[in-house]
Amino acid sequence: MVETGHFALVLAFALSLVQMTVPLFGARLGNQRLMAVGGPVTVAGFVLTALSFAALASAYASSDFSVASVWENSHSLQPLIYKLTGTWGNHEGSMLLWVLILTFFGALVAAFGSNLPATLRANVLAVQGAIGAAFFLFILLTSNPFVRLNPAPIEGRDLNPVLQDLGLAVHPPLLYLGYVGFSICFSFSVAALIEGRIDASWARWVRPWTLLAWMFLTGGIAMGSYWAYYELGWGGFWFWDPVENASFMPWLAGTALLHSAIVMEKRSALKIWTLLLAILTFSLSLLGTFLVRSGVLTSVHAFASDPTRGVFILGILTLFIGGSLALFALRASRLTAGGLFHPISREGALVLNNLFLTTATATVLVGTLYPLALEALTGDKISVGAPFFDLTFGPLMLPLLVLVPFGPLLAWKRGDVFAVAQRLMAAFAIALTAMLVTGLFIDGASVFAALGIGLAVWLVAGALTDLAVKSGVGSVAPAIMFRRFAGLPRSVFGTALAHLGLGLTLLGIVATLSFGTEKILSMRAGDTVELSGHRLRFVGLYPAQGPNYSEDRGRFELIGASGSPVGEISSAKRFFPVRQTMTTESGIKTLGFSQLYISLGDAGKDGSVVVRLWWKPLVTLIWGGGLVMMAGAAMSLMDRRLRVGAPSRRRKQALASAGLP
Amino acid sequence: MLFWVIAALLTLGASLAVLLPLATGRRLALSSRDHDLAVYRDQLAELDRDGARGLIKPAEATEARAEIARRILRLDSADQAGDASPGRAPAVARLVATAAVLIVPLVSWGLYSQLGSPDLPSQPLSERLAKNPADSSVDELVARAEAHLAANPSVGRGWDVLAPVYLRMQRFSDAAGAYRNAIRLDGDSAVRQAGLGEAIAGAAGGIVSADAQDAFEAALKLDPANAKASFYLAVALAQEGRGKEAAAAWQAMLARLPPDSPWRSAVGQALAKAASPEVAAGGTNGPDAAAVDAASAMSPADRQAMIGTMVAGLDGKLRQNPRDPEGWMRLVRSYVVLGKTDQARDALGRAISVFGTGSEEARKFTAFAASLGLTATE
Amino acid sequence: MTRKQKRLSVIVGGLAFLGAATGLTFYALGQKASYFYMPADLTTASVAPGQRIRLGGLVEKGTVQRGQRATVAFSVTDTHKSVKVTYTGILPDLFREEQGVITEGTFGPDGVFVADSVLAKHDERYMPKEVADGLKEKGVWQESKSE
Repeated sequence: MVETGHFALVLAFALSLVQMTVPLFGARLGNQRLMAVGGPVTVAGFVLTALSFAALASAYASSDFSVASVWENSHSLQPLIYKLTGTWGNHEGSMLLWVLILTFFGALVAAFGSNLPATLRANVLAVQGAIGAAFFLFILLTSNPFVRLNPAPIEGRDLNPVLQDLGLAVHPPLLYLGYVGFSICFSFSVAALIEGRIDASWARWVRPWTLLAWMFLTGGIAMGSYWAYYELGWGGFWFWDPVENASFMPWLAGTALLHSAIVMEKRSALKIWTLLLAILTFSLSLLGTFLVRSGVLTSVHAFASDPTRGVFILGILTLFIGGSLALFALRASRLTAGGLFHPISREGALVLNNLFLTTATATVLVGTLYPLALEALTGDKISVGAPFFDLTFGPLMLPLLVLVPFGPLLAWKRGDVFAVAQRLMAAFAIALTAMLVTGLFIDGASVFAALGIGLAVWLVAGALTDLAVKSGVGSVAPAIMFRRFAGLPRSVFGTALAHLGLGLTLLGIVATLSFGTEKILSMRAGDTVELSGHRLRFVGLYPAQGPNYSEDRGRFELIGASGSPVGEISSAKRFFPVRQTMTTESGIKTLGFSQLYISLGDAGKDGSVVVRLWWKPLVTLIWGGGLVMMAGAAMSLMDRRLRVGAPSRRRKQALASAGLP
Repeated sequence: MLFWVIAALLTLGASLAVLLPLATGRRLALSSRDHDLAVYRDQLAELDRDGARGLIKPAEATEARAEIARRILRLDSADQAGDASPGRAPAVARLVATAAVLIVPLVSWGLYSQLGSPDLPSQPLSERLAKNPADSSVDELVARAEAHLAANPSVGRGWDVLAPVYLRMQRFSDAAGAYRNAIRLDGDSAVRQAGLGEAIAGAAGGIVSADAQDAFEAALKLDPANAKASFYLAVALAQEGRGKEAAAAWQAMLARLPPDSPWRSAVGQALAKAASPEVAAGGTNGPDAAAVDAASAMSPADRQAMIGTMVAGLDGKLRQNPRDPEGWMRLVRSYVVLGKTDQARDALGRAISVFGTGSEEARKFTAFAASLGLTATE
Repeated sequence: MTRKQKRLSVIVGGLAFLGAATGLTFYALGQKASYFYMPADLTTASVAPGQRIRLGGLVEKGTVQRGQRATVAFSVTDTHKSVKVTYTGILPDLFREEQGVITEGTFGPDGVFVADSVLAKHDERYMPKEVADGLKEKGVWQESKSE
């Protein structure tokens, strides 16, 4: 079974070689038969990769320690679910997951792309094949998950307690679905450059893929952030860590791409820019893979001392980013530029959005790569953390967020900013009220808090205004209004939801940062502490025994207004004897959208325990907003007009209603 | 055999995926022009639907319709080339097709023969453990016991059985863990504490560290007659260079031990060795017999000097031929035993740098040094 | 405005925007990036009180004192020099004497380093990468450059 998986992987590599060349020749020679090879080969490559992945997963599930990667990254005592998720919880397996998703998306294009122009389809599949071939080769030569051990050891080496967590098990696949989803946009762009023309269906294909990739990436980032929040025990949700930035950069660029693709589809403008953005977004995804997978982040020197993997990925990176940008430089002038538009218009707003987002991406890129470059060049070690990003990323985001509600309300081609401002008056009034209430009654000292809350409310109210205006609130009878509301295209809901989610996330961030309170104190059993109006009693420290750890569990009671306990929170210090490690399990109690967060410290000799408590108001909105954004993307994806379904199949209906010959 | 059949079938399938479209070559898709036209018509239809629902104003709709019409006109004037006929297959295309069909089996079988291990069957753990116990290796039997313990980790008895087995298999850190678990679950006993001490000392390459001493002392407190504990505490004395006290302790043991005790021979050997300085130099891989003979004839000061010279010799040898992990450990231990902590630390640093800081050996060195009570940096 | 002028103004506006962003980025890099020091580096480098730095080294043996209300004082050393550090909060699970740590914060006027975060992130050698590199440079880990 294991060797079948290995053979399937090699065979998939061979097929990817065919996939990257034959359809390309076919398109070049105008030969239908050669072009037709692309589809079946892509699907077969996916089936073989899936077979290979299944073989590896079953090796993990059955603890087959004759497979080196299973021996290194698994343990027979793990619960089955963590054995399975362990398949991609390591370098080799996660790279296999990467190509599995890549071939899966390729197969989707092959299966549903029969209505694409033949040459475009052939070229897209060829580019996908080239990416696949590079990564297959990388896996087979430097990170082969099927390396065998003979004789097989009897027990695996690893049982990292921190990695045994469902959040961390789901996080990488989501992130990869996002990263790799952008590869389709990349392939379409490169295919358009090879052909020297952008087909009308180009944007119709690129936009849903961007949406899909963006949706998964949003989920992956939110999941990673929440995991860090509850697992690391520091109560922080974003650290501007290079690994986080590696996933955040493609997200920012992808957000820009999402918006420029709208202009491209609706107005046939910004074509070349969108194409470049698609290339850049996938390049940043590759860069993210490189940063995380090459080991360059743990140490520049580690990369230099164990060069094969790093140099190989760096090679792939150079080949694809350099190659596609060179092709862009050569061919972009052959593409016909799009239509013109007035600066004050929906298009103009989206261009502004792109300007801010790409610049913001660039600052994150600089902040992430500068320490690496500096250390490689001078040996100085610096850390670029939150203070840097607060000063650069923050000022770029603020004006963008202020402008967000205007965008969807502006008309295409030529907009009227005053009319839009009038429609937004109500939203503005609500935001202003929120700002004043915050400033006057809650926290007069912090201008940041008042402005932040005002801005967040502005975004939420703006998104709702968009829906209200489009369904005609105030101008038509309620019955018509409801009918209109129900009849709104799903993409309108999608836009509103995504912007609403953004506002909610911002609200969570601002509220947590400015109204959150924190206490560090040493407590004995029976002590009570009050934090932002919540009274907590420390019941005591209780030793307990887990399956593979022992723990000291600190139990706390939440005391209600009447003085009787209304809830319990417990936080624990766990000790894993096999690996001789300690972990802290934070105790979290969700009250409404807010959370009480308790982290246990060292026990003193006199029976007291150091306890760190946080009150995190509205903190769940940070990730809840992410979910709402995902829902917005899903809504837009469901919009019939964005479906990649065949226009030819609906041609009759289209002809009938358009009255065209 | 089955594997080769599957591999052949997979190859056949993959080759067919290439071959079939080349052979049939049906016309698959619209030409770019027709396709674009369809998309534009679709857009027009969508525009009408939006207009009917009142989602866009009539003026905007008119403008948009004009825009789409312009695009359709542009399309008509655009290139008429690119329409390919399905049958055309010039020589180049035939060449590409042939290469494509050949490349799949060639690359896959060629690469797999380099990378794969076709003769190695899958070995799921449950299958290996389900084998007849008589056919199992000791490793597998232990694994079975471990699996049982994992399911019932609070059975102190199981740890008690497993711990000495680990000791005999030289899995010292596992043994230490097992003894600790047994002590935690079934309570203290002299035998367990002494075993724990032996495991800790074993993990440290035979050096009785402070932790091990604690365990042995605990054992003696529970049972003053525990031979293992007394023996190793004397070894500790010898390792600290207090050879006379060690010898005295062993002598006292001999006097107390029952005549049939298995420890008698061990103590006898230890006493014999104590007369020679080998213990002080550490390990049996120390200086050769002639040197030891010479050493035993010297005064203590001279002997110390000679040991110093031999250690320096080992040091020099390692400078020339540094890739010798055993040698490094011996050197570090020698320096520790001689009380030259700084040099020991220096040797450790060099040893680690030889094998690279992240290497398996470096980790072993660090652990080994830590067991001697030595940290890489103070 | 003619079309050409319009395009020009858009380009100029865009460039000005990018220029401002670039300037801000480099200003922020100069001001907000915190440098990493080992205790011995501090004798040569001048670090003003209030300037944010990261200080790494080993927790000196026997210096950890737990004071009132969860404040901990300890010394960070690179075996040549050591620096007194105070920290209020919960120490990481892996904080131990003679283990590598990285602290981040500022120097108070009295020369005591007031840390607001303490990291004891471990790689396979139980040593933060910066600390290991620093110790290597100081010759504590590595005597000869025989590699």
